[in-house]
Amino acid sequence: MIEKLSRRGMIQSLCGGLGSVGLAALLNESTAYADSLGHYAGPHLPVKAKNIIFLFMAGGPSQIDMFDPKPDLIKHAGERPDSVNLRTERQTGGLLPSPFEFKKAGKSGIEVSQLLPQMSTVIDDVCVIRSMYTFNPTHVPARSLIHSGSLLANRPSFGAWVSYGLGSVNKNLPSFVVLTPGGGGSSSLWRAGFLPAEHQGVAFNDAEVEPEKMIANLRNQWLAAPEQRREMDALAALNRGFSNSFGEDSFLDGRIKAMEAAYRMQFEAADVYDVRKEPEAIREEYGKTPFANGCLMARRLVEAGVRYIHLYYGAGQVWDDHATINKNLEKRCPDMDQAAAALIRDLKRRGMLDSTLVVWGGEFGRTPVSESGDGRDHNPYGYTMWVAGGGFKGGIAYGSTDEFGFKAVENRVSIHDLHATLLNQMGVDHTKLTYRYAGRDFRLTDVYGEVVKDILV
Amino acid sequence: MYPVNIMSGRFPVLLLLLSTCAPIFAQEPDAAFFENKIRPVLVAKCYSCHSTKLSSPMGGLAMDSKAGLQRGSASGPVIVAGKPADSKLLQAIRYTNPQLQMPPTGKLPDSVIADFEQWIGSGAHDPRVDSAGGASPAPLKGMSIEEGRKWWAFQPVKEIAAPRVKNAAWAKNKIDSFILAQLEHTKLNPSPQASPAELVQRAYIDLVGYKPSFDEEQVYVNDHSPRAYENLIDKLLTSPHYGERWGRHWMDVARFAEDNPTGEATNPGYPVAWRYRDWIIDAINADMPYDRFVKLQLAADEMPGVAHDDLRALGYIGAAPIYHKDQRLSYDVIYGFMTDDWDERVDAVSRGILGMTVACARCHDHKFDPIPTKDYYALMGVFASTMRAERPTFEVDPKVEERFLWIQRRLFDLRYSADLLTNEASTVVGAKERVDKWKAEIESLHQEMEGLRGQYPQLTQHLERFWTFPPPRQPGAAGGGGGARRANANVASSEPFFNSVYDAAQFADGSDAHYTFINYKPGEAREIPVMPHGSVTAAGADEPRHFLTVLSKDDSTFHHGSGRAEFADRVFRDGAPLTARVIVNRVWAWHFGKGLVATPSDFGTQGEKPTHPQLLDDLSARFIAHGWSLKWLNREIMLSAAYRQSSHPRADGEAADSVNALIWRMNPRRLDIESYRDSLLRAAGKLSEDMHGPSEEADSLTNVRRTVYARVSRARTNQLLREYDFPDPIQTSAARDLTVTSLQQLFLMNSAWVHNLSSTLASSVDSESDPHIKIRDLYRKILSRDPSAHEMELAMAYLDRPADPEAKQSPIEQYAQILLSTNEEIFWP
Repeated sequence: MIEKLSRRGMIQSLCGGLGSVGLAALLNESTAYADSLGHYAGPHLPVKAKNIIFLFMAGGPSQIDMFDPKPDLIKHAGERPDSVNLRTERQTGGLLPSPFEFKKAGKSGIEVSQLLPQMSTVIDDVCVIRSMYTFNPTHVPARSLIHSGSLLANRPSFGAWVSYGLGSVNKNLPSFVVLTPGGGGSSSLWRAGFLPAEHQGVAFNDAEVEPEKMIANLRNQWLAAPEQRREMDALAALNRGFSNSFGEDSFLDGRIKAMEAAYRMQFEAADVYDVRKEPEAIREEYGKTPFANGCLMARRLVEAGVRYIHLYYGAGQVWDDHATINKNLEKRCPDMDQAAAALIRDLKRRGMLDSTLVVWGGEFGRTPVSESGDGRDHNPYGYTMWVAGGGFKGGIAYGSTDEFGFKAVENRVSIHDLHATLLNQMGVDHTKLTYRYAGRDFRLTDVYGEVVKDILV
Repeated sequence: MYPVNIMSGRFPVLLLLLSTCAPIFAQEPDAAFFENKIRPVLVAKCYSCHSTKLSSPMGGLAMDSKAGLQRGSASGPVIVAGKPADSKLLQAIRYTNPQLQMPPTGKLPDSVIADFEQWIGSGAHDPRVDSAGGASPAPLKGMSIEEGRKWWAFQPVKEIAAPRVKNAAWAKNKIDSFILAQLEHTKLNPSPQASPAELVQRAYIDLVGYKPSFDEEQVYVNDHSPRAYENLIDKLLTSPHYGERWGRHWMDVARFAEDNPTGEATNPGYPVAWRYRDWIIDAINADMPYDRFVKLQLAADEMPGVAHDDLRALGYIGAAPIYHKDQRLSYDVIYGFMTDDWDERVDAVSRGILGMTVACARCHDHKFDPIPTKDYYALMGVFASTMRAERPTFEVDPKVEERFLWIQRRLFDLRYSADLLTNEASTVVGAKERVDKWKAEIESLHQEMEGLRGQYPQLTQHLERFWTFPPPRQPGAAGGGGGARRANANVASSEPFFNSVYDAAQFADGSDAHYTFINYKPGEAREIPVMPHGSVTAAGADEPRHFLTVLSKDDSTFHHGSGRAEFADRVFRDGAPLTARVIVNRVWAWHFGKGLVATPSDFGTQGEKPTHPQLLDDLSARFIAHGWSLKWLNREIMLSAAYRQSSHPRADGEAADSVNALIWRMNPRRLDIESYRDSLLRAAGKLSEDMHGPSEEADSLTNVRRTVYARVSRARTNQLLREYDFPDPIQTSAARDLTVTSLQQLFLMNSAWVHNLSSTLASSVDSESDPHIKIRDLYRKILSRDPSAHEMELAMAYLDRPADPEAKQSPIEQYAQILLSTNEEIFWP
């Protein structure tokens, strides 16, 4: 319904798509925070981080082989002590040690797997949380939990909450961008749910490097720019004439501006999405793989003011290693390792790491017990995620799992706790960030979640 | 969504109401500790037996009030502040005394016991504030049933004498007296009547969902008879396209869609859900009384004398969203998902039809409205006794059909399970034995169905995919593909079935620790226990199925089957005043762009109050008196002077009432995606008049059908629909939240879809040699009017310039695209 919208309301509604008024200084627009317009007008905490890049490893990466060394597994290989009789999705067998060597890395001496040589070089900037847990052993519900804090596929995504809570910094870009190779994935993971539609994630296919292939209808196939400019001018003249005859109307006015912004977006804004504009050396550092391009684009989007970038590694649940896990990890880790580490390094060089949260993890981890001899099943009881930047302590390994790496036992961190802590760094109290819908106030963290103060600077 | 709240300057009010459902963590650490660590445990583990709400709390101990906890049990205090060792409560939860172990369902985790020890040790601070009367039974934290019965929205509706107004000549019908009285009170004048061109556009968009053509507009503008406007409305109300427009409105409320949010093996799409959409369109066109319209959607199969064709209405429940249930998960998890599915129905029905947020009472009594948790589980029982079923479009012997529908569900689960454990045999112990057993059962059901092939070949055929191993290689053919194969099929099917429901109690079967089936018991109903915090592991006593207590005039316990028919009856008997107000307000909002109640799906205490309560009551009473006729209501509203007002802005109106709460003008609006897409197609002469049938994607270049027939997906919203604010069909939608974005404009500027329309339009004026005529004709086709002299000059200047030899679009095509893209085209005056 278009009513007489306030200026605030109007600009909010313009922010839903790829931008609107004025494209000046697009790449580095430093709009004052007072001007950044979220719907949420509740209290704010001190802001530590302005942006989030979530590197999502769908399928559930194996903490046992990457971040959570468990030498006891070797001793007890093949055994099945009572403590590992936890129900997961599938039938599991005896304990399966990791064949990968762990070495102390950085000044902090955190042990990291040989699968991740690049991450080892930046580990002093990383807060490794070894005691994550979640609440469901199957992909879709668990994925829904990490994305929205709820099992139900109808709640707003984390990114939508961030967009709602903090608004857009750059009015020309969506505040919540999803980068998903092949354009796949279920849009229900980045839905706005009951939040205003403009907070929905805008998904781009980052398997492509050409912006026109990523964004539908970005280019006109029939007219050159000057010709289309004339078309737009003629259109604007008719629209102004209509406004004159109708009278002042925020919708009519807003659409004239949105039309103009769309025209310019074709040429200017598209640059943001074009990683080919980066120096060759930088592209080499990230690695030029699809995931690397996504990481690099995420950095460019953060520079341009996008609040929340959700980046999927690969299409589908690629880290779901029910079988031949060792071989799979050897194949998959190198490019993930290189790009994720390059992102941290690059952000740090640019002085952006302090204000950017880089989060890494999947919907759960994997079991220390084997599935069919050479695979690992889903493990929601205890797994690793890491966060770099944004006021998280670097060079610490927080919490721990049991002797075999199955269940988080010390300093347990639930996905609600993680959400609460990330929001806290963004300057929002997770108990205050609510939205009234269907008769009650909803939160990202429902009735749960505690800020994990120990891992914050 | 209620954007109105945020944009109408009521923001401060909204803020005061924040943080209500979740526990409010107080500032002081003691209180926070209690709220965080203690209270949730008391609620989840103790209240079900130790509550003031019970007529006799166990042991005389009521723990849901501060006073009750301090007083202790019949045998003395249970807490000694500062002395955990002396506190009976701690003894009980430690399970050290075999005679005193609480909670009886199992020992609490050690960490929780430690929390209680710490809490008692530090003084057992209890920040709860008891309501007046201390521990005396205070049934609800929110509004009591008794108070609730006095709530405005539940009061009987009756016709109200029109208020006296000064400018009585302005009023065209009774609606206007109510509007004008409030305007006069604020010393605002109504706006003048809209121009004939504006009126005819407004009426076409409103009633048939697209703009009138040049000729249609001329017919009206040149009709000078005094009844011209009435005739226009009456003509449009009889158009078959009326049902396409107004049916779509209802589809927003009914969260109509043709698949499920995740579309996995156990929640595949609904390939025949389009038959439910077609039923809605037909029923609306026939002006089926609203009470019957809703009753059929809830309970067509339980009502006497219903035509078989009307069973299509049950798509309302039969094509509702469901979640994936990986049957390898435990009983608790599967049962939990089942309750989530039923919760969805409770929410859709209560907000959609009754404007009540009953689902708020899933974890605890509603915090504001008079809805106890028992009411919630009473309704959940109705849907737990209703299974989804693909029912034949043709008549079948009822006994045979009942058996067929059970076999259909059973075969689906067996086939899914057999496929799952064949492909992932290592994931469950004894997979092979299980698969063999299931395949044997599949075969036996197959043989049973073969026995029916002679009499009902289509029933047998429909299930063939379940017993065919390996699945045939032609998906799309009737019955093609295995159960799992059809899961993600993105196409509508023409099989002679519709997505419907059948009465059957559904239970999670916990008998196999490694594999959880769902048992369907056709012809049986079940009760659902009250589940504190919505947790299936904390189930209390079974709650009989019944209607909302606050609305019930007498004992409303349901006795027949699932109780859907009795529920539907109560909605229109005990709940009639509320139900009528809710639909009248929705219809008003669809006509005016916003309702008299700004929160169309929440008429509870957290919703907005009506801006014109007497008008709403009077109109609702007359709506009932006119046999719940939606067409009567459309007509009554559209014939009012209020509706006919101009939508142009006025400085005095803006100053006095910028949100137009008083209706001093018509609200100017933009077209929604359906009427926009349809109007664009119609301008190019391409819009198909064909009604009904399977769906196609909205932005397909070959789809020229009305947008109401576009495919609606919960898993992958069509990009065009999404960009233009189509509501997410995973839940009932109260109103559309229309935005203006640049992505929308890129569609007009650069899409092949719009480009094709421009080409078609340009070709259609190709035979004219005079560019003035070409432009005039384009204006007529697209904007249904002639260009002004100035507009003609602009167009000529555009066409006269030297053509760009590189351009792949002729200037006249470009101009057609310009006119299609104008604000005027997307505007609803």
